[in-house]
Amino acid sequence: MDRIYFKEGIFSVDTDTGNGTLLGNKCASCGQIYFPPVDFCFNCLGQVMEEAALSRRGKLYSYTRCHMPASRFQPPFFVGLVDIPEGVRVFAPLKEAADRSFQVGMDMEVKIEELWRENDKQVIGYVFEPVK
Amino acid sequence: MFLSQLNNEEGRIFMREVAVIGIGQSVFGKFPGRSAASLGGEAVVAALKDCGMHPRDIQVAFASRAFDASLTAQRVLKGVGISALEMVNVENACAGGATAFRGVWKEIASGRYDIGIAIGVESMTTSSIAGKMIPPQGDDLEGYLGMTMPAMFGMIARRQMEEYGATAEDFAMVSVKNHHNGSLNPHAQYQKELTVEEVLNSRMISEPVTLLMCCPNTDGAAAAILCSMDVARKYTTQPIRVIASALLSGSYQHLQKDICASLVGVKVAQMAYEMAGCEPKDIDLVEMHDAFANEEIMRYEDLALCAPGEGLQLLRSGATKIGGRIPVNPSGGLLSLGHPLSASGVRTVCEVVLHLRGQAGARQTPNAKVGLAQMLGGVITGMEHGVAAGIHILAR
Repeated sequence: MDRIYFKEGIFSVDTDTGNGTLLGNKCASCGQIYFPPVDFCFNCLGQVMEEAALSRRGKLYSYTRCHMPASRFQPPFFVGLVDIPEGVRVFAPLKEAADRSFQVGMDMEVKIEELWRENDKQVIGYVFEPVK
Repeated sequence: MFLSQLNNEEGRIFMREVAVIGIGQSVFGKFPGRSAASLGGEAVVAALKDCGMHPRDIQVAFASRAFDASLTAQRVLKGVGISALEMVNVENACAGGATAFRGVWKEIASGRYDIGIAIGVESMTTSSIAGKMIPPQGDDLEGYLGMTMPAMFGMIARRQMEEYGATAEDFAMVSVKNHHNGSLNPHAQYQKELTVEEVLNSRMISEPVTLLMCCPNTDGAAAAILCSMDVARKYTTQPIRVIASALLSGSYQHLQKDICASLVGVKVAQMAYEMAGCEPKDIDLVEMHDAFANEEIMRYEDLALCAPGEGLQLLRSGATKIGGRIPVNPSGGLLSLGHPLSASGVRTVCEVVLHLRGQAGARQTPNAKVGLAQMLGGVITGMEHGVAAGIHILAR
């Protein structure tokens, strides 16, 4: 089955390990890091932005289980906010661990996987799941 | 400080004092057979009647509508016999009505016109989003990944539980309070008391937010007639002064460290208090954006009705009930009135005016002298939630 990224240029997959990474960017003048990447710095209006791969792990800031359909997701599904050490808070779908429920502050790891299917294509994006 | 004192020493700014003299509201509910123009017209006619004004005395109009909007002011006013004057249409998410009200206020305060009307109207059931939750814009990244307003407030609620020890029962209490108030308001879509158990046992929407902690999507309109103070006295012995008007947009998201503390909500309140020359303790009642029950608790803190982090104690103390120290949403709020997005920012002003005139019936705030009407909302990836925020403070 064909695989397409739900959005290009904001995540990558290591072909050897299969590990996913979120690709943000960083202002060359003030150091502010952004995800998703921005065209210029919202802090200082600096025009020079450098690529910045985010740490793969972060801490769960908040979460909710949604019971209404949204976008392409059918309920129930989890979404949450994950604080990445670089100072970025990322909104993402969450994947529940089989053996424990979500807790604010728990360690989370990014995973690249199928979000939904569209016209016989796998639509690939990022989710966070509790660190195993 | 009153507005009339805002002209500075160099005389560069001259602002006249502006009064609200007429208010009107349409029915609120689900009316698939009625157009936005018809709902808006009903509110305008009610506002004209409220102050005994002839339609042709209106000199300027601002209207707000979010969904399927096109020439809203012209469509609404055509139906009540008003044409051929300056009309402006604005959209500003949930703050649209407040934006229209502020537009008219500026026109009159600046001396350009003497009499104007602010209209907020929304027909959710005839719009392109009928039957859906408010969808994200097509290219909005987070919307694509499952972000919705209930999801946002579910995540806020989780933080309120984690940081402040809030419980689902606390959130249900906000809904119970506002539905009690709504049961006293003949304009509310839902005029029914609820119990904590009913709220908690209603359908789960976005944990821990249940259906009865969410405001309904509603059709409706509200209108307010404003004029200069000297003109006001020709129409009424009870002009209600606009002592502050503030409008502000949200910050970039990376600046908001705590999703329970709104940068824009706090700042716009500070701007309004400064302009009114009053403090939060001087406010006798508040009408605000309670799209979700748990939101009201964080907005107490935005408006400095209590110290930061003490919104939960303020709720539990009962101070925000009718008859309490600072009643919040005595109208029943969005939770029982329903939320016709752009109408709500005008409707909250109308409710405050009723209390300041002493005409709010069973839900009257005793001896109310100063009231605050806040409305805010909107989400965009990369910005704090609540992208547009408006506040008006009114006094008798």
